[in-house]
Amino acid sequence: MSTAAAKKETIPLDAPLVLGNPSFSDLSETIGGITEKKAPVQWFLLVGFFASLALLFAGSVGYLFWEGVGIWGLNVPVAWGWAIVNFVWWVGIGHAGTLISAILFLFRQRWRTAINRFAEAMTIFAVICALLFPMIHVGRVWVVYWTLPFPNQMMMWPNFRSPLLWDVFAVSTYFTVSLLFWYVGMIPDLATLRDRATTKVRKVMLGIFSLGWRGSNKQWKHYERAYLILAALATPLVLSVHSVVSFDFAVSQLPGWHTTIFPPYFVAGAIFSGFAMVMTLAIVARKIYKLENIITINHLDVMNKIMLATSLMVGYAYSCEFFVAWYSGNEFEQFAFINRATGPYAWAYWIMITCNVFIPQFLWSQRIRRSIPFMFVITIFINIGMWFERFVIVVSSLANDFLPSSWAYYTPSMWDVMTYIGTFGVFFTLFLLFLRFLPMVAISEVKGVLPAANPHYRGPVSSGGQS
Amino acid sequence: MKIDTKTFRFTDTGSFGSKAMIVGVIGLLASAAGYLVNSEQFFHSYLTAFVFWVTLGLGALFFTLIHHLVDAEWSVVLRRVMESTMVTLPLLIVFFVPIAFGMHDLFEWTHVDVVAGDTLLQGKAPYLNTTFFLARTAGYFLIWYLLTRALYTRSIKQDTSNEKGQTIRMRQISAPGMVLFGFTLTYAAFDWLMSLNPHWYSTIFGVYIFVGALLSSLGFITLILLFLRGKGVLADKVTVEHYHDLGKLIFAFTIFWAYIGFSQYFLIWYGNIPEETIFYHTRWAGSWKYVSMLIILGHFIFPFLMLLTRAAKRSLKVLAFMGFWMLFIHWVDMYWVILPSMGAHGANAHHGFSLSWMDLSTMLGIGGIFVWLFWKRFTSQPVVPVNDPKLEASFHFVNG
Repeated sequence: MSTAAAKKETIPLDAPLVLGNPSFSDLSETIGGITEKKAPVQWFLLVGFFASLALLFAGSVGYLFWEGVGIWGLNVPVAWGWAIVNFVWWVGIGHAGTLISAILFLFRQRWRTAINRFAEAMTIFAVICALLFPMIHVGRVWVVYWTLPFPNQMMMWPNFRSPLLWDVFAVSTYFTVSLLFWYVGMIPDLATLRDRATTKVRKVMLGIFSLGWRGSNKQWKHYERAYLILAALATPLVLSVHSVVSFDFAVSQLPGWHTTIFPPYFVAGAIFSGFAMVMTLAIVARKIYKLENIITINHLDVMNKIMLATSLMVGYAYSCEFFVAWYSGNEFEQFAFINRATGPYAWAYWIMITCNVFIPQFLWSQRIRRSIPFMFVITIFINIGMWFERFVIVVSSLANDFLPSSWAYYTPSMWDVMTYIGTFGVFFTLFLLFLRFLPMVAISEVKGVLPAANPHYRGPVSSGGQS
Repeated sequence: MKIDTKTFRFTDTGSFGSKAMIVGVIGLLASAAGYLVNSEQFFHSYLTAFVFWVTLGLGALFFTLIHHLVDAEWSVVLRRVMESTMVTLPLLIVFFVPIAFGMHDLFEWTHVDVVAGDTLLQGKAPYLNTTFFLARTAGYFLIWYLLTRALYTRSIKQDTSNEKGQTIRMRQISAPGMVLFGFTLTYAAFDWLMSLNPHWYSTIFGVYIFVGALLSSLGFITLILLFLRGKGVLADKVTVEHYHDLGKLIFAFTIFWAYIGFSQYFLIWYGNIPEETIFYHTRWAGSWKYVSMLIILGHFIFPFLMLLTRAAKRSLKVLAFMGFWMLFIHWVDMYWVILPSMGAHGANAHHGFSLSWMDLSTMLGIGGIFVWLFWKRFTSQPVVPVNDPKLEASFHFVNG
């Protein structure tokens, strides 16, 4: 496509999903080959770097366990600081995977096949990072299992009326189902790798994890049924997890926290930040591993549209909250919002508005939606903006609560910062291991959207694809 | 009733439109008599009917917008039905005129003496005042008019000109159109419904009304298609596969409705702040409790169980019933939002609900005219967008 044509014409209505017209074996070779060849030197450098960041996390948390949460910048009333901000941020990022693999599957969006594996892996690692924070925030981390309701001789039960307990259920359910979904989706690909394996170790390991997959019609029939059911089960989870996270705030009576739009607003924000993170990672990975024909510019364009849509939803929620705070006539509500925009944390508020509402508006332009450098920068801004959204919610509402005598400016300590940076180490180390050892694109699903998978396919054609 | 199978144009439109018009006129005349008997009851029943039909049109507008935005294929064959519904929406501004005259009966914040003794309402006066209120309503209808017209004229133009570019153009209109849709629906819901209880506020209220709007329009579209099918129109083009998808959407948005309704209820219940709980408190007093229960059962549990299985979603009988049911329960929902605020200081809330014949006459009145206008519009053009590049694929669409 020439650039002049691209400028005038929008994406053709029936653009092919995979470019370069690869054959089935080309795809197995391209994607499966990555896990079989020696990793590039950049991979080792990156793993080294991020694994040392993960050590930073281990060190910070070790000192935290020794000394207690007093090492963080918390004060009263800001008893929830960076840890909760980071928790919500990571959980939010962990939303794109299941949205792409479950909801877009039910909506028959076949372009999802190029990115779903990737996004699901990201989801799982992001949820792991998220779960770390409430665990280390409880103070006495060695009794964190008390959050689980199990019969015990102390006759001690968690408080079922507490949204913090619902979080335990919601996030752990989400993690379990996401993991299952990811794994079930991977079975045919693991079998492909098993069949290609040349070493004994790979044969045995992949043989175990591919659960005896032979690719018979009967297996495919069961597999696709299982996938559909898992998608249907995972769909409500996409909404429920972040809704429950929003309950942590919204069931309180604190102005700025207690507002009814919180559940859908948090879900929209989660999908927004999740897509931004998927994009950030996908843009880099498709370049390094030369997957431009599989994760095409059309895919990125569509994902940019979803980011724009969710940015608008988040903007809608911001404006609704602000309007209703004024409309309520409640002076505390009004103060909470005016304080956000003009008070001591106004800088954070305006970073949030700029990154989440203003900057994504560039995505209205098709040229920007199809420009790699532009979209990369925008996704970074969104990742930052969504962190600040949670910072604004958590900190600004707590810091200036009903009792002005206890107002104090909240500042994180170096331990807060190091713990947060450390989770990047955990996340990226896991992600790099995934890229190295598992098929990062769903090989069998991408094969399914190739023209050759169509029963009416009549051999290679010069251009065009199937509907 | 007949269509030409080549051009998809009506050759005989039947008497459906004129029957609807007669029902509408009788309903409106009866309602006008009702106004003379009990103006307060009339205005509340009337507002319920008005909001019901406006939200139904808005749901169809949303369906059209999202159809273009996601480049949907299966729903091309239904496009004309949704378009004809949405393009009828702006005409409903005529029915707003009585509401403008009935504001004193409907909205407490228009009472000068009440506002004078209420600091909260004084604070809201820059927003809740008659002039601005009417200007906003005019603005909503103007936006809906421009938006539906922009989409509809292009769709009709494509029928004769066979330009693929119109599909892209309609998509380009739909993107900003969706933003306008979201804001106008939300603020219309705030104005016409939320301000009936002028102290009460809920940020999710616009989303709540949106889901109800979408569900009612899905019910309406399903019924219209089944009606056409019964007359042999499009019977072989709109197949069980399309109905299956409509059933899936009704099912999915039933769950989404419950999610939004529950979020609103639950957060208000848990927070337990009197100025918020008042909304649910009045709807749990006296016989209103039964209406509240009916909504929980009828807007969520019943349709959820009904449409859970694949067989039910593919059964035209079940879908015909569910189409009526979604319309009925959406009306109950609007009734439940509006009627408890009738009477001085919500007297109706304490007396429990009592149905009036005007609830029916206003629904038939506005509804009859709405359906008549819809039918006139629908039958004036081909029943499917004949030159849509995805029409052929839509005819042969099969669920995977």
